[in-house]
Amino acid sequence: MAPRGSLLLLALLLLSCALPHARGQHWSHGWYPGGKRDLRTPSDLPAWGPRAVPARGRKTRHDPPAKSKVGRVKMPPPVDPEELLVVQERYRQYRLVLSALRAEFRAEVLQKKREERLIAEGLPEELEEHRRLMAWNEEENGRQRARREERLRREEEEQKRRKSEIAEKQARKMEAFLEEKEKEVLQLQEEAKNFITPENLEARIEECLDNPRNYNFAIDKDGRVVKRTVLS
Amino acid sequence: MTSSPSTPTPSSHRAASFRLRHLCAPRAGRAAAMVQLGSRLLRGRGGHVIIRFALGGCTNRPFFRIVAANSRRARDGKYLEQLGCLDPLPNAHGEKVAGLNLERLRYWLGCGAQLSRPAEKLLGLAGFLPLHPMTVTGAERLRRRRQREQQTEAAPADGSAETDTGTGTGTAP
Repeated sequence: MAPRGSLLLLALLLLSCALPHARGQHWSHGWYPGGKRDLRTPSDLPAWGPRAVPARGRKTRHDPPAKSKVGRVKMPPPVDPEELLVVQERYRQYRLVLSALRAEFRAEVLQKKREERLIAEGLPEELEEHRRLMAWNEEENGRQRARREERLRREEEEQKRRKSEIAEKQARKMEAFLEEKEKEVLQLQEEAKNFITPENLEARIEECLDNPRNYNFAIDKDGRVVKRTVLS
Repeated sequence: MTSSPSTPTPSSHRAASFRLRHLCAPRAGRAAAMVQLGSRLLRGRGGHVIIRFALGGCTNRPFFRIVAANSRRARDGKYLEQLGCLDPLPNAHGEKVAGLNLERLRYWLGCGAQLSRPAEKLLGLAGFLPLHPMTVTGAERLRRRRQREQQTEAAPADGSAETDTGTGTGTAP
């Protein structure tokens, strides 16, 4: 077996050396369709079309990986995060629409089955009744929808009004606050005229010394200065 | 295990009906194999209806049939119903022609059939379903790539033109 195997290997080697490197054609696949000088690339062929070359070549899936691939780390393909978000959103909407369509088709199929069953049973009155009831249901749905929409509209208006009120109140509060602060500032500015600063320190001291004031008096509960006490 | 035509085996009802209808060795042999190896089509194993492309045609001449089949069947195997066809090679006018039976499609989708991705894309392009997201994304990517290529073409062309004019004006006076 071994000499035959080596002979085979030799023959294959010679064959591979002899063949020209046309399109990267592989010896084990035979000639690719299109011939030796075909310049078509895999991008020209549709991905869902039949492959010219089978996906697996000389080895089966049970063979171990080659020594040259020992340190190989397979990385996933790069993904653009913005595009991914956009694509995810698109998929979400697509699946929503698809599920809605499926529900509609299901309803159609059920309706048809029901009708066939009723016709088979020979009861046109049932059909009529069913149609009448469906129509009444639609009507009721419409009416409820109108009421619901009215209610929602009113609630929305209420919300808007409340929000605007709150906003107004806030604005007024802010204004009042600002006014108050302005007043305080003005008051302080006025008082600042009477402050004792390093410049007029000397002058003020002189002034105090020149005008002595006597605080040696009593006041009663109403704040009036007492001129004389009760005679004991 | 030799199964006689009358004895019911634990395999599927289908096998029994086959045996009653076609009393031939291959079917009996298959029934026997089914019981021993566990056929992939036995009941109690799952499987759903799927609308997909079944490949037919010859070498270098593919042709797809849009088919509703059990998902566990072979790609080109027995199907429930054919719902259309698709010719992937463009015709003399450059069109790829497809035919769809929308009525039956609605029926199968209403019965809960799944769609394969190429089938979804085809139906999206046909307008029966909304456009598939990857169709749109693929088109965007292609457009962007073409724009980039155009820009790279224009840039070197401008660069070479500028250098030419620069040298021309430099040498003229």
